[in-house]
Amino acid sequence: MLIELKDINKTYNNGQPLHVLKGINLNIDSGEFVSIMGASGSGKSTLLNILGILDNYDTGEYYIDGRLIKGLTEKQAAAYRNSMIGFIFQSFNLIGFKTAVENVELPLFYQGVNRHKRHELAMQYLDRLGLADWARHYPNEMSGGQKQRVAIARALITSPKIILADEPTGALDSKTSEEVMQLLGQLNREDNVTIIVVTHESGVANCTDKIVHIKDGVIGKIEDNRQHRSSIFGTDTIMK
Amino acid sequence: MKDLFTEIWESVRRNKLRTCLTGFAVSWGIFMLIVLLGAGNGLQNAFFKGGDRFASNTMMVGGGWTSKPYDGLKEGRRIRLDDKDVKLAGSDAFANNVDDIIATVSISGTASYGKKSCSVDIEGNYPERAKVEKIEIMYGRYINARDIQDKRKVVVVPQNTAESLLPDNTPISELLGKYIKVDKLSFQVVGINKSDRMRGYNMMAAPFTTVKAAFNKGEEIDDITLTFHGLDSKQANEEFETRLRAAVNLRHRAAPDDRRALWIWNRFTQDLQINTVSSIINIALWIIGLFTLLGGIVGVSNIMLITVKERTHEFGIRKAIGARPWDITKLILAESISITAIFGYIGMFLGMVACQILDKTVGQSTVSMFDDQIAMLVNPTVGLDVAIEATLVLIIAGSLAGLFPARKASKVRPIEALRAE
Repeated sequence: MLIELKDINKTYNNGQPLHVLKGINLNIDSGEFVSIMGASGSGKSTLLNILGILDNYDTGEYYIDGRLIKGLTEKQAAAYRNSMIGFIFQSFNLIGFKTAVENVELPLFYQGVNRHKRHELAMQYLDRLGLADWARHYPNEMSGGQKQRVAIARALITSPKIILADEPTGALDSKTSEEVMQLLGQLNREDNVTIIVVTHESGVANCTDKIVHIKDGVIGKIEDNRQHRSSIFGTDTIMK
Repeated sequence: MKDLFTEIWESVRRNKLRTCLTGFAVSWGIFMLIVLLGAGNGLQNAFFKGGDRFASNTMMVGGGWTSKPYDGLKEGRRIRLDDKDVKLAGSDAFANNVDDIIATVSISGTASYGKKSCSVDIEGNYPERAKVEKIEIMYGRYINARDIQDKRKVVVVPQNTAESLLPDNTPISELLGKYIKVDKLSFQVVGINKSDRMRGYNMMAAPFTTVKAAFNKGEEIDDITLTFHGLDSKQANEEFETRLRAAVNLRHRAAPDDRRALWIWNRFTQDLQINTVSSIINIALWIIGLFTLLGGIVGVSNIMLITVKERTHEFGIRKAIGARPWDITKLILAESISITAIFGYIGMFLGMVACQILDKTVGQSTVSMFDDQIAMLVNPTVGLDVAIEATLVLIIAGSLAGLFPARKASKVRPIEALRAE
């Protein structure tokens, strides 16, 4: 198992204690294309933060590739995030004053890879995502779809074990959304990358092979969606 | 390293105006520090210029008036030193510390050469005097041992006395080898030395033995100059002075602790005092300069705090993709130190230029004081040591300015930063 979550609990203590995750048990295997679906307030973002080692949990156990992720120092957490996890965000989160290629290079910079090598690698990834010509452009000169593809290149460049995508189509129109989801599917099939998508859109979830429904901090049903027939509305397109 | 500077440049480039305005305050602080220290050096050089005139291990001893009754004698009695005091100072009691003993005796008279004349003092002296008082010979030589031995009638004339004895527009070297008359005796001029305000302009030097014999001075002498060794602290010097004073005073039937009966002018302790005064002045100038700089440092700190606030989102992204807290801290600290150092160096450079200008203008002019031309500032510049100290100050100041903002930046939590969309 690549990811193992055992009875994860998380409570926020801002004034009124809020029990967000109430014993999450979830296993995700290497090479899976999974979506975590739930309404806002269901705890899916908290779960994503824990999966991404951006937040810690109160009780339970979280293993990535057999390694227990618990009580890490900031430095350790940063190293794990850098080497094992690639993030794709709803709002792209590219650094505005850096060009596309510089943005893609950044994770390698924090690994201490030299300037030449990381530039070369970043160009390869941009080329693969069809953005070689846009390498020297700044994010504000690009369309949403292009920005998200730059972000995907940045997530892929360290060859992470897991790609975590938080509402990756949330800021895109339906056509681009579809392209991005197809791209993710393609990466999953061809490169065998493990991808976890968090979404509240059934159309997006329908693009994945497995749908994990989360509601009020507990996992409901886990749907096998290899036929991509989960949502009658989402069969052909992504509903906006 | 290059990556770090690229990052800093990217950040500074986006905020040119505000970086420059903040940097100006730092430049100004360092500029003031350098100019203050330069001017301070200039003032000290001007005031303590005489300081290096004497060898530092000398003391001069002369007779005064008694200030207390002793041994049945009333106060207010004149003490005159004589040959026996020279012997006393050279006795075994002081042999551990005393090297040379030079006595002087002087007379006043009128010197004449051709048609011109002027009033002069002639000081009977020993060859060692030239070294102790650092007398600069321009032409010829100083008194030598043969002069003393043979009681030769020779004199060393100061530059300006030579000028007033010669007709106008005659080079002073003309006087060398000529005979001048002092009262009724004639002396051959063997040397011409640079005039010196502190020695008196018309003080000619002749062999001690000659003056004593020619002017019937008997045993009486004016003062004694001692060169000494092994007195390395203020306390050791004071103890030595007390012993010397007691011995000489007793010989003249004055109270051993009567400070007015015998004056002792100790070059070494004088130097110590001057050093203390100049280090106090220096410290005061540093404090003023650093307080001026403080304004600039607070400005940098302030601007870095704003930068951190503006870049919270970016730092969140960086952390999410694997930046360690130290990577973020480093970024802010390096930016703060760079801004402080670059603008500081601009200020330092301008400050040094200002010091040079000061040197070329005020440094060259003199003011009249006590019938004498005194330079207000002599070489008002700072040395390499100050430049290095100021560099250290800048780096420390930059680190201090960046410390708090950098800590704040490193504590950015990625989830909160990324939520802030």
